[in-house]
Amino acid sequence: MIVNKKIITKIEGEATLKLYKKNEIIEFAQIEFWQYRGIEEFLKNRHYLDACVINPRVCGICGHSHLIATAKAIEDALNIEITEKAKILREITLGLEIIQNHIKWFYLTLYPTIKKIDFFKAFEFSKEIAKIIAIIAGQFPHNSYAIPGGVTCDLTNLDILKIKNSLKKMFDKYQNVIDIKGDSKDLENLFNGISKELGKSINKFLVLGDNLYFKSNGDVEFVKEEQSISFNKNVLYKDEFVEVGPLARNLNNKLIKVIYNSYKDSIYTRIFARIYEVNLIFKYLLKIIDEININEKSYIKPKNCSGTGIGIVEAPRGSLIHKVEIENEKIKNYEIIVPTQFNLSNGTKNKPSAAQASLMNENEKFADFIFKCFDICAICVSH
Amino acid sequence: MSKEEKKLEIMKTALNLFAKNGFYNTTIADIAREMGMSVGNMYNYFPSKESLAKELLIYTSKLFGEELKKINEMDISSKEKIKKIVELYFKMAKEEPELVDYFMRVYLSNKEIFANGCEGMLCVSAFVTEIMIFFEEGVRRKELKNQDFFAAFGLFMGYLGGLVFLFREGILGKDIEEYTNSVSENIYNALKI
Amino acid sequence: MHSKSKVIWIDGVSCYGCSHSFYNYPEIKELLEKIELIYHPLLPSNEFKFQRCDILIIEGAIKNNFLRLDFDLIELISKLINLSKKIILIGTCSVYGGIFGEGVLFNKENKGKFFKYKDKIISIPGCPPHPEWIAYAIEMILNKKRLILDKENRPKEIFSYTSHMGCVRNEYFEWKIDAKNFGEKEGCLFYEQGCQGPYTHSSCNKILWNEVNSKPRAGTPCFGCTEKTFPKKNLFKTETFMGIPANIPLGVSKRAYLTLAGVAKSLKNERLERKLIDDSE
Ligand code: SF4
Ligand code: SF4
Repeated sequence: MIVNKKIITKIEGEATLKLYKKNEIIEFAQIEFWQYRGIEEFLKNRHYLDACVINPRVCGICGHSHLIATAKAIEDALNIEITEKAKILREITLGLEIIQNHIKWFYLTLYPTIKKIDFFKAFEFSKEIAKIIAIIAGQFPHNSYAIPGGVTCDLTNLDILKIKNSLKKMFDKYQNVIDIKGDSKDLENLFNGISKELGKSINKFLVLGDNLYFKSNGDVEFVKEEQSISFNKNVLYKDEFVEVGPLARNLNNKLIKVIYNSYKDSIYTRIFARIYEVNLIFKYLLKIIDEININEKSYIKPKNCSGTGIGIVEAPRGSLIHKVEIENEKIKNYEIIVPTQFNLSNGTKNKPSAAQASLMNENEKFADFIFKCFDICAICVSH
Repeated sequence: MSKEEKKLEIMKTALNLFAKNGFYNTTIADIAREMGMSVGNMYNYFPSKESLAKELLIYTSKLFGEELKKINEMDISSKEKIKKIVELYFKMAKEEPELVDYFMRVYLSNKEIFANGCEGMLCVSAFVTEIMIFFEEGVRRKELKNQDFFAAFGLFMGYLGGLVFLFREGILGKDIEEYTNSVSENIYNALKI
Repeated sequence: MHSKSKVIWIDGVSCYGCSHSFYNYPEIKELLEKIELIYHPLLPSNEFKFQRCDILIIEGAIKNNFLRLDFDLIELISKLINLSKKIILIGTCSVYGGIFGEGVLFNKENKGKFFKYKDKIISIPGCPPHPEWIAYAIEMILNKKRLILDKENRPKEIFSYTSHMGCVRNEYFEWKIDAKNFGEKEGCLFYEQGCQGPYTHSSCNKILWNEVNSKPRAGTPCFGCTEKTFPKKNLFKTETFMGIPANIPLGVSKRAYLTLAGVAKSLKNERLERKLIDDSE
């Protein structure tokens, strides 16, 4: 058996992929993240509101999900209710973050592992999405407009109109990437000559967040971390490895189900679910934007100052968990579990994680492709 | 005598009369008589009693402000500054009782006459600004407790005002300046970190 | 035609946010076509190898015992700095240290590990920096134009402004009317909510974010993310000493500021005391 150790770049951060091969076939894989940035330590003893500035800096591409998870965790800890308006605005900005993430991932991270592509397409799109977020949240990346108690902005109908028009325009434009019927030239092109059966995995899915149209199918109580060979910890659900992310949370969609029935949890299905999810999010956002009552309050001042809480959101890569302990307005303890930890845990040959399983028994020439279809965020892992 | 000097003299005369006969009982004609001026000429300097009152207030506030500024600029601790401020106040109360009286009583009890053009702290801003700087620096240097400005201001000024009131009413057993140390000490203890 | 300038973009300890901010630059395609990007962590480029370059862009802080591209980060940066003609530090992390470590040029208030290379360094702080600021620095070098820098090597054309300049809440600042709460159009965030706009070097309210907005406009205080002090503690609360803001606008004495503030507070602006939009006549 040959062992091949490779540093994976061109993802959010860096990771090492160790492949154990026989001939060209991958028998087993190990994934290592070796960076640590100490965000959780940094938060200790600060006022809980500071977490709304620090936590988005966990990650440059999905920092907004970290912001929303932060606000939710603190709201859970301090028993805070927010208005419908604040809820909807958060849904919109979080949904948009997922959208910009997926399109960047598709053209910038994934595509080049197989083919050359005009990756500027991604930016043409993502910068417009970022603009819509900015109308609501001030800027993207790294805003802090969602705070325990609501949001800091106070929009006018004019703003709402602008947001709605841009959403419509971008939804239309997205039809060129993959349309609502599921047709995508770019996707078919990508798989030209590659089997759609490639990279089947463990077929166990978990959704913990309830944001957007997603439905949770589990309870965070059963999520456990354990030491692994890598710097980051493994994450298990009821002692099993599971897959989180767009495929997991969209299996109740008819179209995605059809693909799943043909190709199971191959990387084709995974990629399809991911880029198709964008259409579903657009549709959902266009619906909820009409439900905003501009006259509602944006923010209600919290009353309590101590407690413990959990905030969960479906982030671009899957279920993201924040846990906080607050004493007298100060953070005593903070813990973050990111989706990449679920998908890229280090299991054994007999009990592999989702990413490991999908690499096993495949030709090593597809290693990069298969690996990156999980949209790895080493940055998040190294919080 | 320049116009400014003349104005100052009128203000001083007015102060005396206010102190003697009360603010409301004193008319422009009274002040003119005391100055040996015609009422018409008086109006060249002050178009109304209100305007005189206002300028008087600005004048006193500046006077206190300038003295406070000197103290603020000294390289001494907040504790020492408090003593200097108390000293200054008591000295003024003795040497220029009308002025202190005016600042304390006429201004505070006749706020309505200052409503126009003297809103809020406008006419006393020179004085209040220096008090703010004194407090702010005390907190910055970690000598005074960080609290609401008016809570501290009221404690400081109310206390001094109360003592001057007792002094003016002839109730104090000793000379007011003999209270400097204990009063400074009390203020410092109440404000310190 | 002479060959294109060679650019290496390297990441230290960061969140990749500066890169993602840069991707929002409207002319990114045109800009990237003007250069030869020989390495970038995410944009298509060749495998990393040490080589000479015209511009080295460093994103992220430095830290001991941190691996990047399988090299010790500080050694990696040290080698690259010696191989490059000009260096652009992008992001507060790489200029001052920010959240994650030490900066390349400074370590918070002090000189940083690579301070001796100050002469070839341009600082573009910000967490993240605005895409136009990054593009500006690159373009100025490409066009061989003279950059006027301040003493922390920040281009004055960007950083001699404060983020307060141009905020839509400026009138409230003038009249010392504080925001009564978060989530309201009315009021300035300087007095209670911790806005650092008046003393933060940046142009967020002149060169708007994503071309449309800025934090203070959206009701979020400026956190001073371009400064060496970022992130301070209690970012959503104005630090006051006896009720007086501990930090006052750049360039004014405390006495002058307090005098002016007192005047503004005493004289009211009726219009601004009310809600901006309501049913009254
Ligand atoms: S909110 Fe901040 S940036 Fe805006 S006017 Fe007030 S101090 Fe300036
Ligand atoms: S407004 Fe302040 S915190 Fe926000 S980006 Fe600008 S400088 Fe940074």
